[in-house]
Amino acid sequence: MKIAEYWLLYWIIVGVSALLVASPFLSRVLVYPRTEFFTELWILDADHKAESYPFNITCNQNYTVYLGVANHLGYCAYYMVQVKFLNWSQTNLMPTRFGAIEKRLPSSLPSLLNFTIYVADEQVYEVPITFSFNYTWDQPSSKVVLSSLRFNDVLVDMSAHMVFWNATRREFRVFLFFELWLYNRSVNNFQYHGRFVGLWLNMTVS
Amino acid sequence: MLRGKFWRSSVLYSTGLMVKNLSKHKTLITDFCVLLMLIPLCIRLSFCSSQADAELAIQSAESHLLDCYEAIYEAERAGANVSNLLNVLNEAGWLLVKAKLAYNAGVFESAIGYALNCSQRLDGIVSQANSLKLEAEQASRIDFLINYVGSAAGSIAILVVGYVAWSFLKKREAP
Repeated sequence: MKIAEYWLLYWIIVGVSALLVASPFLSRVLVYPRTEFFTELWILDADHKAESYPFNITCNQNYTVYLGVANHLGYCAYYMVQVKFLNWSQTNLMPTRFGAIEKRLPSSLPSLLNFTIYVADEQVYEVPITFSFNYTWDQPSSKVVLSSLRFNDVLVDMSAHMVFWNATRREFRVFLFFELWLYNRSVNNFQYHGRFVGLWLNMTVS
Repeated sequence: MLRGKFWRSSVLYSTGLMVKNLSKHKTLITDFCVLLMLIPLCIRLSFCSSQADAELAIQSAESHLLDCYEAIYEAERAGANVSNLLNVLNEAGWLLVKAKLAYNAGVFESAIGYALNCSQRLDGIVSQANSLKLEAEQASRIDFLINYVGSAAGSIAILVVGYVAWSFLKKREAP
C-alpha cells in the first residue's frame, strides 16, 4: 500500500477538520451585516387580532386594544408614545401618511398624554390599553361634549373637546391615535419617528 | 323719663367699658388682624412650595430615568441581556406619566408621591447595569479568545500538522 495513493482522501479529511474547527470564526466573519434599521408599530384588538377593533363606542364603556412596538434599530431604544385625539373635521391635522418615512411630520395637535417605552434590540414590547370616554350629548346643538378619557388607570381631562354631528356619515366620528417618537442621544431629545397608528371611533348616543 | 335716663346712662357706661377694654386689648386685636391677613399668604406660600416640590420631584425622576437608560444602553452595547432592567424602566416610566398628569391637574401631593415612587423604583438600576456591562465585556473577551483567536489558530494548526504529517509519512515511505 502506497500512502501517495490516498493523498486526496487524506487532504479532504484534514480540510474538513480545519473547516469544522474554524466554523465559530467563520460564522462571525461571513455573516452579512445588518443594513436595515427600523421600528415596527401596530395596534391589535382585544383578541390580539386585526379584526374587531372598537368602533361604535358608548359612554364610560371600557375598550381594550394592544399597542405593539418591535425594535430593529440595533440598539436599546427609548420611545415616547404621544396619545392624540381629533374629530372628523380636523383630518387636515393628522400626521403625514405619505412620502419618505424620515420626512413625515407629526400632528400639530397637543397630546392628551405621553408615555415612554423602552425596548431592547430585536425585542417586542406590547402595551395593553384599556380606554373609555366620558361624554354627554348636547342634543339641541347636535354635539358631543367630552369630559374625560380614562386611559388604563389614569384619568385625562378632555373638557376642551367636543365633536359635532357628521351629517354625511351620520355619526360623531373621532380619531384616537398614537404617534411614536424616538429619543435621539445626540440631541438629548425626542424626535418624531414617522410612525403612527390609530382608531376611528363613533361616539354613540341614546 | 327715669327709665330713659337709666337706659342712656347704662349705654354710656357700657360704651365706656368697651372703649376701656378695647384699649386694653389693642395689641391683641392688632396681632389677630395681622394673623388674619397672613393666613392667605401662608396658604399661597405652602401651595407654591408644594408645586415647586412636585416640579423638582418630577424633574429629578426624569433625570434619574434618563441616567438609567444611558447605563442600560451601554450595557446592551457591551452585549448584556437588559430585558429585565428595561421592564423596570417601563414600570417607572408609567409612574412618571401619572406624576405628570397629577401635576397638570394641580394635585401636587399625588404628583410628588408618584415621582418619588418612580425614583425609588429606579434605585440600584445604574449599578446593576454597570455590573452587567462588566460581565458582558468579560464574556465578550472570552468569546473573542475562543471563537475568533482559538478557532482560527486551531484550524491553521490542523492544516500545518496535516502537512507535516503528510511529509513525514511520504519520507518514511520513500526507499
